[in-house]
Amino acid sequence: MPGPAQIIVDSVSHMYRPPRGREVLALDQVSLEVGNREFVALLGPSGCGKSTLLYLIGGFLPVEKGLISVDGAPVTGPGPDRGIVFQHFALFPWKTVRGNILYGLERQGMAKDEREKRAMDFIHLVGLSGFEDSYPSQLSGGMKQRTAIARTLAFDPKILLMDEPFGALDAQTRGLMQAELLRIWQMTPKTVIFVTHDVQEAVYLADRVAVMSARPGRIKTIVDTKFDKNDPNLFKTKAFGEKVDEIWNLVRDEAIKAQGTRVP
Amino acid sequence: MAHVDAQMSATEAPALRFARAALWGFARVFSILLVLVVWEALARSGKYTPYQLPALTAVLGRIWDDAVTGDLAINTALTLYRALVSFAICAVLGTAIGMAMSRNKIANWFFDPIVSVGFPMPKIAFLPVVILWLGVYDVSKITIIVIDAIFPVIAATVVGIQAVERELIWSARNMGATNREVLTQVVFPAALPQIMTGLQVALPLTLIVAVVAEMLMGGYGLGGAMMTASRFANSVGVFAGIVEIAVIGYVMVKGMSMIRRRLLIWHQEANEPTTA
Repeated sequence: MPGPAQIIVDSVSHMYRPPRGREVLALDQVSLEVGNREFVALLGPSGCGKSTLLYLIGGFLPVEKGLISVDGAPVTGPGPDRGIVFQHFALFPWKTVRGNILYGLERQGMAKDEREKRAMDFIHLVGLSGFEDSYPSQLSGGMKQRTAIARTLAFDPKILLMDEPFGALDAQTRGLMQAELLRIWQMTPKTVIFVTHDVQEAVYLADRVAVMSARPGRIKTIVDTKFDKNDPNLFKTKAFGEKVDEIWNLVRDEAIKAQGTRVP
Repeated sequence: MAHVDAQMSATEAPALRFARAALWGFARVFSILLVLVVWEALARSGKYTPYQLPALTAVLGRIWDDAVTGDLAINTALTLYRALVSFAICAVLGTAIGMAMSRNKIANWFFDPIVSVGFPMPKIAFLPVVILWLGVYDVSKITIIVIDAIFPVIAATVVGIQAVERELIWSARNMGATNREVLTQVVFPAALPQIMTGLQVALPLTLIVAVVAEMLMGGYGLGGAMMTASRFANSVGVFAGIVEIAVIGYVMVKGMSMIRRRLLIWHQEANEPTTA
């Protein structure tokens, strides 16, 4: 991890309380440090609490046990320093592509001319020029997620929290979006925490992959996955394949456990 | 289907296209026309007296006469006024109560049992009480209409707000929206399709209860005019009222669904499948 930690997660536990039924320990004593401009993937079987950890860092859920701090200050609620992108986009369906992006800029109190220009810049960045006046219902899944990414990048968070952002997309679109995300990330470097259950995606995108255990979620190991991301033949290299295998073996045990202990 | 039709007709001659459109328009109102024709035929068959079943043409003539004298305008305006004022009250008050119930535990504790009991009960039963308390004029008529029509608006608002995805709210909070902004700028528009559905249920209710209240309380208005006609054994007048109410109800509901399309232009339902 380069430099001092920007995000510190210190022995955080979290209980999930369903509306009915008894409470479940979702996260158990999780600790994680993420450096400035580092790209970390949280990888684990479904239900392991990786999204919960992301929501805690985002300030959307209250930290009940342990401590999360960002740039030295404890997290107490959501803030524009930590931008989030959801799996199902969470776009405002009554706003156009442009309107969605402008919303955050308005809330930040940016002047009208400036925010109009900034919105168009980011629409261009994610390759949606010509669709700025479309409503989300008129867009494909990939275009919706591009819009959501542009909306979050536009208000310039230092940290990008991504909750299985490509999980709802078809395989081809997902591949394109991964490359697209790397391109954007290299242009506007930010700290990224990326939740996924796709091993290859994690190894390809991240500097480090934190493998989580089945519920209750713990960080099982953290694996270094630095590769030359701009190598077009990266997927075919032996080193990449071995890294994917290594991590897949770590995840498989947990995935099997998760199948067995899955709460219906 | 409509999509395919449109594509096919694009290659046809204008005259043929017009013929298709006219035929299609006729097909849509065929059943109504059939009812009207059968009505006229039965009335003219001599089996029934004009007192039992006046001819459609006689009824239309009566409506025309009323239109000329201005009675039609007065009665229609009064009934519409009562229905639409009540509708406005239901829309504002019902949405406000529904939002309060969704956001505030005390409001929910207070209103939830009232809605549970009140929604299914026949609220027209309150009419005698309303007459005792408020008399027989506009205030009491509007009151009974509101009592009847507000429940679907409240229920739809509560259900609509419950269904708003938490990710939508989190996104807004993430971008710096305050609680108040989240409510007015995110929760309300996100729940609007459901709220509109509640309003579309409430609108015909306001007309129904307006007419019933007028029938039972008397005075001017379409319902009152029908009861007056009935007391004078004026069969044509009664049927004229029925036709007028049918037309007004149809126009109201159509107008409302046009407003819905306008307001929800962004919604999935407004789109043909796109090429995306």
